[in-house]
Amino acid sequence: MVLHYKCPNCGSDMVFDADTGKLTCPSCRNRLDIESIPENLRGKSPGTEAVRGRSPDPGGAADAGETVTYHCNNCGADLLTTPETAATRCSFCGAGVVISERLSGDVAPHLVIPFKISKEEAIKAFKKWCRNGLLTPRGFMTADRIQSITGIYVPYWLYDLNSHIKVSAVCTKVRTYTSGDYMYTETSYFDAYREINLNYVKVPADASRKMDDELMDKLEPFHYGDLKAFKTPYLAGFLAEKYQYTDNELMPRVKDKIGQFVEQYIRSTYSGYSSVRYKSKQIDTSKVQSYYVLFPVWLVVYDYDNFKHTFAMNGQTGKVVGKPPISYGKVAAWFGGIAAGSMLVFKTVSLALGGGFL
Amino acid sequence: MIRTNLRGVRGCRTPVLLFMALLWAFLFPAAGAASGTFIYDHADLLTAEQEAALAAKAAELGARRETDFIIITLNGTGGKDIVDYVADFYDETAPGYDGPHGNAAILAIDLEQRDVFLAGFKQAEVRLNDARLDNIRTKITPHLSAGRFYDAFDQYLELAHKYMGFRPGVNPDSLFFNTGFQLAVSVGLAAVAVGVMAYRSGGRVTINARTYLDASRSRVVSKSDVFVNKTVTRTKIERNQSGGGGGGFGGGGGVTRGGHTFSGSRGKF
Repeated sequence: MVLHYKCPNCGSDMVFDADTGKLTCPSCRNRLDIESIPENLRGKSPGTEAVRGRSPDPGGAADAGETVTYHCNNCGADLLTTPETAATRCSFCGAGVVISERLSGDVAPHLVIPFKISKEEAIKAFKKWCRNGLLTPRGFMTADRIQSITGIYVPYWLYDLNSHIKVSAVCTKVRTYTSGDYMYTETSYFDAYREINLNYVKVPADASRKMDDELMDKLEPFHYGDLKAFKTPYLAGFLAEKYQYTDNELMPRVKDKIGQFVEQYIRSTYSGYSSVRYKSKQIDTSKVQSYYVLFPVWLVVYDYDNFKHTFAMNGQTGKVVGKPPISYGKVAAWFGGIAAGSMLVFKTVSLALGGGFL
Repeated sequence: MIRTNLRGVRGCRTPVLLFMALLWAFLFPAAGAASGTFIYDHADLLTAEQEAALAAKAAELGARRETDFIIITLNGTGGKDIVDYVADFYDETAPGYDGPHGNAAILAIDLEQRDVFLAGFKQAEVRLNDARLDNIRTKITPHLSAGRFYDAFDQYLELAHKYMGFRPGVNPDSLFFNTGFQLAVSVGLAAVAVGVMAYRSGGRVTINARTYLDASRSRVVSKSDVFVNKTVTRTKIERNQSGGGGGGFGGGGGVTRGGHTFSGSRGKF
C-alpha cells in the first residue's frame, strides 16, 4: 500500500520538516505532531512483538515487493521504485509517498532519527565545506550541482554487544640503577592474567548495499538522544530504503569495528608494565540485541573529470564526508608555500644567529 | 674629493650626493681602514702571487668582520714557544682593525717545530673562542701536513670569516646552518603537511573507544599478576677521561706580556 499525507485543512501534500520536526503542509503551514499519529506497523506479523534478537528472514518480505508496481495515490502515475525503496517522491507530481509494505511487519524499523538539517541548511553547509576544502579545486561544487542533493533514510542495524575476554600475557618491569662503576638493568617478569567483560551499546552498521561502508562509518557519531519510535510520516518527502543485509549478516563487520576498541581496552588494563607480550587472547563477542533503525543522510553524487564523487552529510549533526577531487595547483601552492615559508624561517633564524643568509 | 664636489653643487643635488657618500662609506667601510700587513711569510712558503691573493682576501674578509686576519710563517722561533712568539708579536706589532692592539686573529706556523697556533684577540677572542679555533685548526691541519700551505691559509681566512659571523655560544658547524639540511627539512615538512591535508580532505573518523562503550557495565572481572623471575644485567659506565689529552694540543689562550688576553688553539702538523 502506498501511503501519502494529505493536509486535512487544504489537501496539499505534506512533508516532514527538519526544522520543526513535524509533518508540515507547505501551502497552509498546517503542522501535525507525528508522535501523536496512530500507526500500527507491527500488528501484521504477530511474531515480532520483541525486537530483541530478531533476525528476519531476508527472503520473504524483501522479495515480495519486487515485481509489484506502485501507483501514486495523488496522480495515479507509476512510481519509480527499486526493490529496496521504502519511501520516495512521485516523479510526476512530486508528492512524498511511503510504501508501507516495506516498512511493516518483519521489515518495520524500530527506531528512527528524523532529519534535523533541512535541505537549505544542507546546501549551505556543503558549499561552505567545499570552499573550506584546502585542496579542493576552485569552483568545484557549483550551486546547481548541489541542488541535486537528496535526503535519504539509510537503514542501519544497531547492536548491543557483549565481549567476554580472557587474556594472559608475559609482562616486564624494567628498573635501572647505578652502583659504583656499573649500571644495572633489572628486568622482572610477571605472568599477568585478565578477565574482562565489556558492553558496547548501539554500535551502528549500515545495512544498505549501495552505500560505501567507509563513508558511512565516517558519518558517525549519530546522537541517540534523538531516536524516536518509528512512524512513516517521518519519511514523507524523503527517500528511504529497507535493509539489504540482516543483522546476523553484518555481525562480522560490527565485530571488526569494535575490535580495535577492545584491543585498546585490553592494553589499558596492563598499564604500569614496560612491555607486554600476549600469550593467549580469547575474545568472545556476542550480540545481546539488535535494532533496525533509519538514520538521516544527505547525499550529493556527481561526476567531475569522469570520476564519480559521493558526498554524504550526517542529517542530524551536519558532519560532511566524502573524497573531493584534489587540485594539483593547490597542492603545489601549499607545498611550495610551506617549503618556502619554513626555509625562510630557517634562514631568518640562522641569520639572527650570525650564520649568514646562504 | 667628494667634499669638493659638494661645495660646487648647490640645491637639491647636495643631499643626494651626501647620501651617496654615506652609502659608499656604509658599503665599503674598509676603503680607508685596511692598513698594515696581513701576511708575514718569514719561511717563504708562498709565491708572490699567492701572497698578494691572500693579502687581498684577508683585507676584504677582515674588513667585513672588522678584524685583522694575520698569517705568520716561521722557520724557527728563535727559541721561543710559538704561543709566546705570537703573544709578543701582538704586543710589539700592535695589529688591529680598529686601532693598535685591536681586533685580530693570528695564524702562526713554525716549520722547524711543526707547530701550528691560532689566536684571537679582542673581538676575535670572543667570536673565535678556543673551541672555534680548535675547529679551524683541525680542518686546516691536513693541508699543512701535506704542504699545501696556500690552501690551508685560504681556508683559515674563509673559516675565520665565517665563524666570526656567528654569535658566541652558537655552534657554527651545526647541521642547522647547512642549506641542504634546511632544504630537506622544509621539503619534508611541506610534504607531510600536504599529505595530512589530502588525507583529511575526505573527513575524519570522530568516534573513539569510549563512544559506544557502556562504561558502567564494563570492567575487569578478575586479574592476577604473578611475579615469575628477574634478570639483572650490568654494564660498565664509561667515564670521561678528563685532563688526559692536554699535551701539546688544544693549549688554549692566555695573556700577553703586554696584558692582552687571547683565545688560542695549538697543535702539530
